[in-house]
Amino acid sequence: MNYDYNEEQWMIAGNFKNFCQKELEPRAHQLDTASKEEVDVLIKENIKKLASIGYLGMLHEEKYGGSNNDLVSHVIASEQVAKACASSFLSAGASCGLFGMPLKLFGSEEQKQKYLPGIIKGDIIGAFGLTEPEAGSDAVSIKTTAVKKGDKWVLNGSKTFITNATICDVALIFAYNDKAAGPGGGVTCFIVDKGTKGFNVGKAFDKMGFRGSPTAEIFLEDCEVPESAVLGEVGKGFIQAMKTLEYGRIGMATVSLGIASACLDYANAYSKERKVFGKFLNRFQEISFKLADMVILIDTARLLIFQAAWAKETEQADAQILASCAKLFASESAVKISNMAVQIFGGYGYIKEFPVERLYRDAKLGDIGEGTSEIQRVLIARDVLSKFAS
Amino acid sequence: MEFGFTEEQLMFRETVYKFAKNEIVDLCEQADLKSEFSFELWKKLGAMGLLGLPFPEELGGSGADVVTCCVAAEALGHAGVDQGHLLALGAHTYLGTDTLYKNGTDAQRKKYIPKLASGEWICCMGLTEPGSGSDAASMATTAVKKGNKWILNGSKTFITNAPICNVCIVFATVDKNLGNAGITAFIVENTFPGFSTGEPFHKMGVRASTTSEVFFDNCEVPEENLLGEVGKGFSYTHETLSWDRSALLAPFVGGLKYMMEEAAKYATERVQFGKPIKSFQAIQHKLADIKVTMEAAKLLVYQVAHDKDTNKPLNHRHLSTAKAFVGDMGLQAASEAIQVFGGYGYIHDYPIERMLRDAKLAQIGGGTSEIQRFIISRLLSFG
Repeated sequence: MNYDYNEEQWMIAGNFKNFCQKELEPRAHQLDTASKEEVDVLIKENIKKLASIGYLGMLHEEKYGGSNNDLVSHVIASEQVAKACASSFLSAGASCGLFGMPLKLFGSEEQKQKYLPGIIKGDIIGAFGLTEPEAGSDAVSIKTTAVKKGDKWVLNGSKTFITNATICDVALIFAYNDKAAGPGGGVTCFIVDKGTKGFNVGKAFDKMGFRGSPTAEIFLEDCEVPESAVLGEVGKGFIQAMKTLEYGRIGMATVSLGIASACLDYANAYSKERKVFGKFLNRFQEISFKLADMVILIDTARLLIFQAAWAKETEQADAQILASCAKLFASESAVKISNMAVQIFGGYGYIKEFPVERLYRDAKLGDIGEGTSEIQRVLIARDVLSKFAS
Repeated sequence: MEFGFTEEQLMFRETVYKFAKNEIVDLCEQADLKSEFSFELWKKLGAMGLLGLPFPEELGGSGADVVTCCVAAEALGHAGVDQGHLLALGAHTYLGTDTLYKNGTDAQRKKYIPKLASGEWICCMGLTEPGSGSDAASMATTAVKKGNKWILNGSKTFITNAPICNVCIVFATVDKNLGNAGITAFIVENTFPGFSTGEPFHKMGVRASTTSEVFFDNCEVPEENLLGEVGKGFSYTHETLSWDRSALLAPFVGGLKYMMEEAAKYATERVQFGKPIKSFQAIQHKLADIKVTMEAAKLLVYQVAHDKDTNKPLNHRHLSTAKAFVGDMGLQAASEAIQVFGGYGYIHDYPIERMLRDAKLAQIGGGTSEIQRFIISRLLSFG
């Protein structure tokens, strides 16, 4: 047992904190309030900035330009990214993680060579197309189909809630090539380049939060891709998606942690400058105990996330469930914490000039994205019941 | 970073768990019901070596590190041992005996530790007073040197193990004007003239542990029973703080495991509306919440243990977070577990009823949840 950062991790924490506070945080408000067109430009710049300090390559191999860091180190860096600008974390993560990890884990050498260096440099942006209008947490119900025609695959269907859809150069598309074979053997993942005929993207959604990270639908209309677009093997798509989402859960937990941690910093600083009844806010236990509650939840969430990252890295048998525990706790904590932060700011917390207003809206995604809290509870309970009551 | 246990720790956990299931848990229910400390149970714990884990082998212990001590405490709680006896163990080994060990002379260690490590003698720690709980520095018990004796006057309250103790580690002030710098520790045997204890309190939970007041009426303590240095007593209590937030919280982590597993089993057996209640999501979600609370509590408690094993300076944020979380969320989880059992959770026939009463103590004993928040918020306001 060892709870300590190693030397490199201390360095990563410090470097990312400085960089993100200097380069991302000052742009977070602008990104949140920008028009859809401006968002597409600004977020690409932020992804490029993150690439410049090696964030997008942290989990990738050196031969593609990555630095091959462990997952715990990645969490340490990600907390700082998310704390400075949650939208940037989400778009960068969708590109190097949701798109990049399946490439790393299941892609051919040729596919990796083609995409990973660009992803890691921030020159190209990836997206992950699994969710559909009627298939969210229940991913086996996707309806998109892939039919083999000569040496091509023809894709038809639509994807929704796709992060980066409007700015992506390439997307992974999951489709049934054999409905009868079911999800275990009948789903295949395709790498589809933007500009492929029949690959169309809708207008970015107007979201409550994460407004700096574009989300849209992707439509596939007789979209033809070559055999070389199949990621790994035909029929392995669903397993690939689930493996990827194990990282995604840790990512969503981490973005919640970053948001919560930003809320604490803003609220704590405000409580030391704002005076009421002749005293600073933090002299009232109603306020100072809220701040303490934030600390308790944040520090606990961070440990759960570290544990999940360690478990995934070292392939512990219960890695998946620990990721669900971390995601559930961190995201629900962030919702509570952002609410407390707005409350501490009072009226000022309700207006856009103050960052806690944005953080409150951003926090809510944690409860929903990468599997809702309800689904996490179902998964955790299933695990408990299978172990102790079979 | 590494969150696994060593092979040795895992084997030890298994051994302690099996021992407790086979030899201990059957004694717990009656002890709780009658509010009676079980000397039979205590002797078994002693024979198993569980009362002297952290002390060196030559003094009758096994030289275990803090994480291993927590592993044992957690395994006992996990097996379903009542928190009363586990509190008695915690107060005896980690609060009382370890304070003596850490600050005692060789002669004091040789005289007391072997008897305490084996459980032949029982130890308690006397810090809290009627007017001095979370605010320990305001204590009123006095110690005055007279010839080759110290004369103690005053009283202590809420002292776990006091009614059954052979030795009490007592904190008293040699000069109230000195504040913390006047606080001095003494090794007081229950047979010293002027030492007496009150009637055991009737407690809501942890009922098998005995708790009472301690009175010092011109209590005579030989000078060789001064523990450590005059005026240094307050710093000795700091060491107990990290035990309190590790080895004394670990049984509650074990308790959470127990509740989770028992609730899962019950939810499988209990049929309503034609199906086991585990098939209802409302029940599933309670199990999930207990699991998350258990995982989180475990991480926080072992973080304190790891800090202590690696000799880090006291990290009050770690200490207070562990205490507040285990106290508050542990109680909530116990309440959820009872809810899974419904009416059966409310009666004594199922051990789960005891768990809720026991869990409440973790919000209060050793510093309330409110004090933990006060400490954390003070760190924030200076940070």
